[in-house]
Parts: sequence; structure tokens; C-alpha cells
Amino acid sequence: MLSIKNLHASVEGKEILKGINLEINPGEVHAIMGPNGSGKSTLSQVLAGNEAYEVTSGEVLFNGENLLDKETEERAREGIFLAFQYPVEIPGVSNLQFLRTAVNAKRKHLGEPEMNAAEFMKLAREVSKQVDLNPDFLKRGVNEGFSGGEKKRNEIMQALLLQPKLAILDETDSGLDIDALKVASDGVNALRSADRAILMVTHYQRLLNHIVPDHVHVLAGGRIIKSGGRELALELEEKGYGWLGIKDEDDAPVAG
Amino acid sequence: MKPASTLSSAFLTPGGQSLPQPLLDLRAQRGTALADMPLPTRKTENWKYSSRHLKLSEELASALPTSGKCGPALAVPGYHVVFHNGVIVPEACELPDQSGITIQPFAELDDSLAAELAERLDNTLDAEAAQLARLNSARFEDGLYIRLAPDAVLDQPLFIISQTDASCSGSAYPRLYVDAGRHSQLTLVEEYISSGDQPALVNAVSEFTLAEGAQVTSVRLSAEGENVQHVGATGVRQQAHSRFDSHCVGFGGPMRRHDLQVRLEQSGANCRLNGVVVTQGQQHYDNHTVIEHVAPHCDSEETYRNIAAGQSHAVFNGRIHIHQDAQKSNANMSNKNLLLSTGAEIDTKPELEIYADDVKCAHGATIGQLDKQSIFYLVSRGVSRHEANTLLTMAFINELVQQIPVESVRETTQIRLNQFFETTFEEA
Ligand SMILES: Nc1ncnc2c1ncn2[C@@H]1O[C@H](COP(=O)(O)OP(=O)(O)O)[C@@H](O)[C@H]1O
Ligand SMILES: [Mg+2]
Repeated sequence: MLSIKNLHASVEGKEILKGINLEINPGEVHAIMGPNGSGKSTLSQVLAGNEAYEVTSGEVLFNGENLLDKETEERAREGIFLAFQYPVEIPGVSNLQFLRTAVNAKRKHLGEPEMNAAEFMKLAREVSKQVDLNPDFLKRGVNEGFSGGEKKRNEIMQALLLQPKLAILDETDSGLDIDALKVASDGVNALRSADRAILMVTHYQRLLNHIVPDHVHVLAGGRIIKSGGRELALELEEKGYGWLGIKDEDDAPVAG
Repeated sequence: MKPASTLSSAFLTPGGQSLPQPLLDLRAQRGTALADMPLPTRKTENWKYSSRHLKLSEELASALPTSGKCGPALAVPGYHVVFHNGVIVPEACELPDQSGITIQPFAELDDSLAAELAERLDNTLDAEAAQLARLNSARFEDGLYIRLAPDAVLDQPLFIISQTDASCSGSAYPRLYVDAGRHSQLTLVEEYISSGDQPALVNAVSEFTLAEGAQVTSVRLSAEGENVQHVGATGVRQQAHSRFDSHCVGFGGPMRRHDLQVRLEQSGANCRLNGVVVTQGQQHYDNHTVIEHVAPHCDSEETYRNIAAGQSHAVFNGRIHIHQDAQKSNANMSNKNLLLSTGAEIDTKPELEIYADDVKCAHGATIGQLDKQSIFYLVSRGVSRHEANTLLTMAFINELVQQIPVESVRETTQIRLNQFFETTFEEA
């Protein structure tokens, strides 16, 4: 489904990704772990198409097509979804209006009929309950005045609405308390299916207690330095990043 | 230094003579006073950014012909008055039949009322700050006189449709005078529209006097064509505990100017002035507002938003003058501006003059662009760039649009805004 080959990317002239290779198949859940500053968000943003990041070399194929040639909105309509580490607050644009526009843009792209306001409202209310967000959130501005945890759950809600083929979750666990983490993970687990892949990006391994990955990769200094099964995450939790000779900017224990 | 050029004498010859004598006399007197009036230049402080857009060429001097008929039938719900090139078309009007409410064309006023009106016209406007309003007084051919007796409440909004038919070139001078008695209430909508493609000038003046406890809501929509220059002025004087609520929506043109002057003359008077302006292409729009806090315990709240695209230019000049006796004044002014292209320009200037010491006065002005992170967030969900730009731009003014208290004006505004978005943001 996703095939990343020797991807290099830089931001403001500074090289951050220094040759990433990664293969993701439908149905798989991958976790990318790494200390702060290792390039996890950069990779996520590059895949979603943020123009602030410049791809200097390498290739990314998504379902056999060149992903990097496509506009951000096109990638989204074809099934790429990024749950942001820092969701953006957009006062004045209602969540409901934004989400309906997004869902209909995708439906139109796929040749499906658009949803009217009433149909969409019904769907959105159901999904908001699934992530334990009060449907009143739908009327508020996009992420406006949301707590950190509410923003993260709003991201998961959007994934549930848009039903992507590849969901990239950038630090969806950060800023969540135990209960919210459970709700968010339940949402993510609801996304798991044989034809969908999930790429989780995280600093800590605690999310992986709830969403069990098939593959774990360690990202450091812009390269994947180690890959393995879920036991790799557990080993990291035990021994810390220092075990792999990586300096963690945070100095915090890996366990969450 | 080259002497400033003066207003061509051709502009001082009024058209139609069918007004009561006292108003004809007033008009003649104003005309005489305007002889050799210097035209504003870049050096004229309150015309600094607009003088080069004001083109009072001779071809605009003659009054646009008034056929006595209006253009295509207007689908206006409720009460309405239609001006055609500055003259009211009685058969096109629909007026309330309510006791205590007088709505009459100037041309139909009896001599004593006309004499009283002649005494009062121009009294709400500062002649120096709104120079061109005096040209209206020298030229109007008709006008609308509205008087609300004490406690009279107009049960629906009154629309005043000012239609400019520019099938030939010339100028029109619509005029409005509202005398709102004690505790009376009125919602009034002024809509300026045009047809035809010849160069034209609209010089519109509206005056409001609010007696104690009167409540007037004024909605003003300026939406004439690209061939029409519009120079308008609104003057307001408020007595104790009266409320003036203003919603101005302006779409750009070759020359657009609106002066809004409000005087809070007795304790407890308050006003809210909202304004939305959008410009694109080579358009120009200039809003000059003045709020005079003359008496103590008055509140003013002003919120203006400008959006400029293409090579267009928007100007906001907001003056708040708190007089020495105006203790406990509360004045809030906010002006936010959005530039949609690198070629667009917005000039904003809050001017505060405060002579009382116990007042609350806040003002803020910002100029910004659409936020790239916000656009990326929206498009990363599959929303098109066009739609993302539209959503974010609309978000910038939506609150003000929603506050317009007349649904049909909100709708008209939204339709015009959608046209603006269509042409400003290309489809990806
Ligand atoms: N927009 C940006 N502008 C400048 N530097 C950036 C930007 N985004 C990321 N970086 C830099 O790139 C490096 C990797 O950042 P990031 O991808 O956010 O790491 P992670 O998500 O793993 O914590 C860091 O050194 C960070 O400072
Ligand atoms: Mg990150």
C-alpha cells in the first residue's frame, strides 16, 4: 500500500529525513518510535503533503502511484489521513461545516453522492459519541478552545468520518489521560481492518499497550535504525533509547 | 506649488426643480457656498488615500435623467422606497400605513415642513470632514423624509433601494432624513445598486436624529457597478439613552467612500458600528468614521473588517473623540484586515482623542494574511484550496455578517461574497 524508498526531506534548508525506507501493507499496523526531534512529525507531514517540508530525494508510492506528485487534498481524497500532533485551531469555521465539506469532497472524488446537512449531522453525532465528544463540539469553531485531549479525540473522530486507507497518527497519545487514551485507542482499533493500514508515530510506548502493532521501527537522526515486532517496543520501554545508543532530548523514561 | 483644482462649476447647476421652495432655496445657498470648492488632494488629510480615485470629470456633472420609472421590478419584501437616479418613484414604493409614522418624498412636503427640514438638513455632519456631503445639498432633486412620532414603532424593516441607471453618464444625489421621536423604533435598509455601464457618480447623504430612547437600526449595502463612483455620508445625532445600530457592508468599486459620523450628545446614548468591506481587482474602498462622545455615560462599540484581494486598496480611518465632559465613556474600536494577495493594500488608522480622564477606551488594528497552517489543516482533510480559502476568509467576517438583523440582507450579502470568492480564489 505504502512504499517509501530512500526518502530525504529538509525544512528551512536543514536535512531532517536522511533516507527512510518503509513498506506498509493493507491490514498492518506499524509503529514508529523515536526520541523528540528524530523526524517523526516531519515524516508524517511529508506524507500528508505539507509544502513547508521539501523532499530532496527518494520516492513514495501509494497504491502504486507516485504520492509526492499529488496535491495534499488529492492525497486525502485517495485515502491518506494525518492525525496532527498539534491540531490547528480555526475560529469562525464550524467543525460541522468543515467536516461536511471534507466528507463531501471525498465522496465527490469517489463518485459518490454528497451528503446533505441532515444526513451528515446524524452521522457526525454518532461518530462524536464514539470518541466521547459531546456533539455540541460540532457547532464550535474547529478545535477552538478544545483541551489537548479533546483535540486528539477530534482527530480520531475525523479519521472515523473519512475512513482513510492509511491513517497516520502523530503522537495521538500525548496529552491524554488514562481514560481519554482508552477512548482514543478504541477509536483507532475501530479503524483496523483488512484493507486499511495504520502508521502510529509515538515517543512513548504506552499507546502500544492499547493498539498492538504488527511492526515497530525506531527512528533516530532521520533514519530507521531498527525494525522488529511488537517485542521491540517492550524492549525499548525496559531499556530506554540509550540502549540503542540514541540520545533522547527529553531525558524522560520511555515508559509512559 | 500648483494651486489645487476646484470643483467644476458644471457640478453646481442642479437639475429638477420640483421641490418645495424652502428646499430649493437651501440648495441654491449651498451651491453658492461651494463655488470654487477645492477638490481634495493627497495633502487633504482625510482624503490622503482616496483623492486619486475620485474623478469628478465634467461628464459626471449633469444629473442622470429621471424617467420617473424604475428599472426591472424589484423583489423586495415588505416596505420599500425606490430612488431612481436620486428621485423617488412613488408607484414603485410600498409604505406602511401606521399612525405616528410619516414617510414622504421631499417633493411632496408642504412648505412649513419643508422650511423646518431646510433648517435641519446638514446639521448632523461636520462640513469639513465630509466636504462632499455639501455637494449633495447643492444638488439633491428629491429625498426621503421619515418622521416617527414618540413611541411609534415601525413593525418591519423599511428598504430604501437607491438605483442608479447609468445608461448615460452623469450623477445622482439621493438624500435621506430620519427624525426618530422619543422611544420610537425603526429598522432601515439602504441598498445602493446600479445598472448600465456609463461612468456615473452617486453622492448619497443620510441623516438621523434620535430623540431620547429612540432605537434605530441602519443597514447599508453598497453594491454598485464598476462604472459607478460612490461618495456617501451618514450623520447621526443621539439624545439620551438612544441607540444607533449600524451595519455597513461595502463591495469595492473604482471609488467608494463612506463617512459615518455619530455624535453621542446626551447621557446614556450608545451606538454600535459594524462594517465589512471586500475589494478585489483594482477596486478602492475608504471608510471614515467619527464617533463624538460629547456627553458622559455613553458607549460606543465599533468593529470594522476589510478584506482586500488583487491589486485593490481598502482604507479604514476611525476617529473617536471623547470630549472633556464625557466622563465614564466606554469606547471600543476594533479594525482587522485581511490581505488576500501581495498586490493588495490596506491602510488603517485609529485616531483617539481623549479629553476626559475617567473613560474606558480600547482600540486595536491588525493586518494579516490567511494562515498557512490552517489552510494545510483543511486541505489535508480533502477540502479544496478554493474551499479552504473561502472558509477561512468567511470566518474572518462571518460574525459581522450574522449580526446583520435583516435576513434578506444577509442573503444578498452572502451571494455577493460568494461571487467575490469565486473570482478571487481560482479553482484548483
Ligand atoms: N517547520 C519547521 N521549521 C523548522 N524546523 C523544523 C520544523 N519542523 C521540524 N523542524 C526540526 O526538524 C527536526 C525534527 O522535528 P520533528 O519532525 O518535529 O521531530 P519529532 O516529531 O520526531 O519530535 C527538529 O530538529 C525540529 O526542530
Ligand atoms: Mg513530533
